[in-house]
Amino acid sequence: MAETTRRYIRFALPDRVEHILLLASFTTLAVTGLVQKFAEAGISQSIIAVLGGIEGTRTIHHIAAVILLLESIYHLGAVAYKVLVRRSRLDMLPGLGDIRKGWQALLYNLGLRADRPQEGRYNFAEKAEYWAVVWGTVVMAITGFMMWNPISTTRFLPGQVVPAAKAAHGFEAILAVLAILVWHLYHVHLKHFNRSMFTGKMTEKEMIEEHPLELADIKAGVAVRPVDLLVLKRRRRVFFPIYAIVAVVLLVGVYAFVSYEQTAITTLPEPIDVPVFVPLTPTPLPTRPPTATPAPQPTAAPTSTGGPPAAPTAGTALTWDADIGPLLASQCGACHGSFGGLDLSTYAGALAGGVSGPAVVAGDPGASILVLRQQEGGHPGQLSPEDLALVVEWIEAGAPEN
Amino acid sequence: MTRSLAGLTLAILGLVFASSAWADSALPAASPAPAPAAAAAVIDNETCLGCHAAPGQTKTLPSGEPIYISIDPEVFTASIHGREGLQCIGCHAGHDTFPHPAVTAQTRREYNLDRYTVCADCHADKYEASLDSVHQKALAGGNQEAAICTDCHGPHSNVDLDAEPRVAIPQTCEKCHSAIYQAYRESVHGSALTEENPDVPTCIDCHGVHDVHGPSNSPFHLFSPTICLECHADPELMAKYGLSTEIRETYVADFHGTTVLLFEKLAPDQETNKPVCIDCHGVHDILAPNDPNSRVMQENLLNTCQRCHPDATVNFPAAWLGHYAPDPIHTPLVYYVGLFYQILIPVVIGGMAFFVATDLVRTILNRRREARHG
Repeated sequence: MAETTRRYIRFALPDRVEHILLLASFTTLAVTGLVQKFAEAGISQSIIAVLGGIEGTRTIHHIAAVILLLESIYHLGAVAYKVLVRRSRLDMLPGLGDIRKGWQALLYNLGLRADRPQEGRYNFAEKAEYWAVVWGTVVMAITGFMMWNPISTTRFLPGQVVPAAKAAHGFEAILAVLAILVWHLYHVHLKHFNRSMFTGKMTEKEMIEEHPLELADIKAGVAVRPVDLLVLKRRRRVFFPIYAIVAVVLLVGVYAFVSYEQTAITTLPEPIDVPVFVPLTPTPLPTRPPTATPAPQPTAAPTSTGGPPAAPTAGTALTWDADIGPLLASQCGACHGSFGGLDLSTYAGALAGGVSGPAVVAGDPGASILVLRQQEGGHPGQLSPEDLALVVEWIEAGAPEN
Repeated sequence: MTRSLAGLTLAILGLVFASSAWADSALPAASPAPAPAAAAAVIDNETCLGCHAAPGQTKTLPSGEPIYISIDPEVFTASIHGREGLQCIGCHAGHDTFPHPAVTAQTRREYNLDRYTVCADCHADKYEASLDSVHQKALAGGNQEAAICTDCHGPHSNVDLDAEPRVAIPQTCEKCHSAIYQAYRESVHGSALTEENPDVPTCIDCHGVHDVHGPSNSPFHLFSPTICLECHADPELMAKYGLSTEIRETYVADFHGTTVLLFEKLAPDQETNKPVCIDCHGVHDILAPNDPNSRVMQENLLNTCQRCHPDATVNFPAAWLGHYAPDPIHTPLVYYVGLFYQILIPVVIGGMAFFVATDLVRTILNRRREARHG
């Protein structure tokens, strides 16, 4: 019993940290990416709202993408270290044997084979998943670069590449998420909860079930190849400088990825429509029809010299026909013509007056409403004092018609 | 509603007549006796027209502008207000005495601005709506030229709007927006606007009527695709012109459209510089996409893209698939990438699911057997 509860180291701490980074960046990318792909869905819009709108969602997606790229650069170094410095066995390398084992596992599941295939450190399911992640990351990085830098991309490639990259990016995301949900979820969570990626350890029972060949190697003491410490140091002295250079180049690549181009202006584009307020020349006001415009003052009055209207020659008696009629026609006719209550266009009309009474009472300016109204002042058609004096003089003289 | 407002053309006359009820005019009503109460009862339109019917009367304002104070009884009688029997003093309150109240306005515009709110007495809904308009905002901002009720609707000459020709609508707006009108008349919409063709939009179909919206405020720009789609997503209407109705789907599927959609849903008041229909196709000068001068014509597209993407080069415009779903002839790369994944995903995920299902069954059977054999 003690034998089966013995625990074996499966993942060192750096491996587990890598897994956490991958888990976090992948999940973030999946959520922030799929809500953009399915932007019309209500759930997507709720998530985007929580993430601070579409701009915020894109920013988070970009940050997660950078974290995944950085993690990939680290992973490249870690693998290279294991392969080149420690000269570990290439346990993760896929081969025909893995296809065979996958087939055997299927046959076993179907009851067509007596036992399940014997697996080493990484079984076929794990290898499939690992290489799927590698493939997916490469596809997502390339297509993501194209979407992030469409102008640079189309300098060298046809424009169609950008929507094609977008299509691939979205489909690949669906493939990756579904693979995680079907393959990963089943194998390490549902079938039995494999904690080794978090605890770093695996029980003997689990080892027997999933990695019997590795367990046998561990027990035989051949799982880890011994390396002489001096040799290790020498290899490191070569490896680290080279990796440092490669890493710097890759980091510069990531920086370029992020900042290579300014795809679009960040302001609103200059409007190119025509100016808004360009009024037509206003229609001129209708001019006063000629009929309503009193003709130039008749100069018919024999005593008139054609000077200012109604300027009587001294000593000549004022009459309606010669003086007052033309004066009132000119000053009052616009309103007090043939329409309206008071008609001042004729002598009779002036004597008859309007509804208030006669406008002109011969010989009595004080009873003539025309005079009273004008003396009050403020009438819209206000006679000048001189003209009013003429009217008063004419009334006092008996208001002769001619 | 749209058509019902077709009668704005007479507003040109109305602009003139709007100011015609001149206070403090030279026209004494023939009731000098100071009996206002009695006078009020008898001030009917005939009384007013007694003086104001004489044509060609003007008064000069302090600014030196003339203001027209004559009313043509025939025009007024034929107008909606005349036919409905509206009384002059209904709008020109206080003018039932003579002399009329003094006018404080210095200019003709000031006079109109002082008076037009009286329209709200009867047309409260329209007036309320107009308070949200760009015109009112401009007015509040101190632009006295901004249109008010009477600039479009002549109060003494307004006619039955339903009976008015639809072509009169842009002509009304032209009075102030003549440059836009010229662009519109040459556009695919404006050049097709005749009385026989009710399909194309006039100004108010996009901008609204009383609550006239302008393009400068964010919600209008952001939601303007909805306006275009009212017609361009209507299969019956588009079939007449052989136009695609899939413009929304293809637009929203693209980066620009996705962004705009999400702004519409989540941040309707925020500005986005992602293009909507009009940013590529043009606004008032919009042309058919196969017109050589169209901004979305292949030869002109790079220019259009460069408005927002100044560094774009000649291949760039092809990144936009032009409102067409990917197909093997025009966009083979996009099409076959899609096809590849449409095959790959079911095969891979289906294979995984099948294996997982068999493994699950086997695991359950094994556990049962273990339990049995303890």
